[in-house]
Amino acid sequence: MFGAASTKRDAEESTSADPAPPAAPAAETAAPAPASEVARGAKTVEAKNVDLFYGDFHAVEEVSIKIQPNRVTALIGSSGCGKTTFLRALNRMHELTPGAYVKGEITLDGEDMYGSKVDPVKVRRLVGMVFQAPNPFPTMSIYENVAAGLSLNSRRMKKSDKDAVVERSLRGAHLWEEVKDRLDKPGTGLSGGQQQRLCIARTIAVEPEVLLMDEPCSALDPVATLAVEDLIAELKHRFTIVIVTHNMQQAARASDTTAFFNLERSGDPGRLVEVGPTEEIFTKPKQKATEDYVSGRFG
Amino acid sequence: MAGVRIEYQEELETLEASTLGGLDLASAALARTMEAVEHQDVELAEMVVADDDRIDGRYLEVHQSLIALLATQSPVATDLRLISALLHILKNIERMGDQCVNICKVIPMSGHEPPADPEMLKLILAMGGQTRTLIAQAKRSFEDRNVEMARDLVRQDDVVDNLNRECFQLALEIGDDADRREWAMTMLLAGRAIERIGDNAVDIGEQVAFIVTGLFREFEDASRPS
Repeated sequence: MFGAASTKRDAEESTSADPAPPAAPAAETAAPAPASEVARGAKTVEAKNVDLFYGDFHAVEEVSIKIQPNRVTALIGSSGCGKTTFLRALNRMHELTPGAYVKGEITLDGEDMYGSKVDPVKVRRLVGMVFQAPNPFPTMSIYENVAAGLSLNSRRMKKSDKDAVVERSLRGAHLWEEVKDRLDKPGTGLSGGQQQRLCIARTIAVEPEVLLMDEPCSALDPVATLAVEDLIAELKHRFTIVIVTHNMQQAARASDTTAFFNLERSGDPGRLVEVGPTEEIFTKPKQKATEDYVSGRFG
Repeated sequence: MAGVRIEYQEELETLEASTLGGLDLASAALARTMEAVEHQDVELAEMVVADDDRIDGRYLEVHQSLIALLATQSPVATDLRLISALLHILKNIERMGDQCVNICKVIPMSGHEPPADPEMLKLILAMGGQTRTLIAQAKRSFEDRNVEMARDLVRQDDVVDNLNRECFQLALEIGDDADRREWAMTMLLAGRAIERIGDNAVDIGEQVAFIVTGLFREFEDASRPS
């Protein structure tokens, strides 16, 4: 699934770049993709005894969790508890920080993401990320933003195939009707909520299997927030979704499973305290710390 | 912004429908209870008692779903009042079911003899019929969010109360025969239970007014007779 590692990987931060030929379904006339890349449908993410470090600082301790396919899993907890750090380990972005490293195992449908022969760029294409502040590429049009991941492939796509992928992705992000007549306009000309949906379209254009979202709505107004949540509810039928959120009501509304991270004291590593069906976490959590947090009784 | 939070809206509509469906179950239970009373049908009475599990089951299931909805969707305004009203109404429905059970449990007590007093029986059956009308009106007023129709439940319930008073008078004059007296006593218990069902229907009407107006008021206060 992940293919062999390339030699020039290290400094590349990417949401979708992948110089090696992908198995992009829209490129019908392309040569068949190598066997290692056609295995699709990998959607379960599992962490086993994962510890995360920034140099000497032990940020997250002993996390084991199985993230179910085609579900939305919300990671909640107070600031500094390690939920974003953990999220970024799920697509090998944690290691991009100098000195940062991972102990333990993280697998995608059973395959180790951190295997010695695994190309992290491939991981990041299969496990896409949407960030807190919408970040459309500023010099590109709406069309070019969505197609950015496709354009960075070395294999050329026919224009009509690329058009089809762009439309499908914008439709998938519930943005097509609003932008179809101005695809050549700058991506930055859209409202906050539209920009975030554009970023989602860009991420799903390369057909990932998992979507990671780091507080995707915290920069958006309530109406745009609910629009993105409705979108997430639909996207989970195609992807596995993990969302970090500070907004407990959002976790309650939008997720199927909730995982609560916590710190004992400032300076301690964050731990996974409790994970369960969202309805249970918000009606009868098992741990007192969870109950205190979700009812806002946290000091 | 069309179509936002559709799943939540649909869930709320489903739970409202399930709750009102519970009213249908209660009304059906009352109909069969009256039939059991009329024909001294012990077997039918036993079936009503057994079937009350369905009403209880509906109560528990919908109650749990409403609590989950409160926890996960943070409802406010009308949605919040609706959920609060549905929680109340579920309890009203459960009580209606229990009152039918109470009536059915006293039927075997009066034995398999034909009823002692046809006039009193007629009053009881009339109470049952009028209370079923009350239940239907309560349901309709809820579906339509019709406060006037809900308020009218008080007048309809007064009919039931008056019939109950007439029943009581007849019981006082029933005579010395022990079997007749026993039968009359059980009919008074049945009348009391039907009257309580009617009161529960009026409570549902008060919930309709709460949803629409936001004000939680009794239509009339029983402790202050008019």
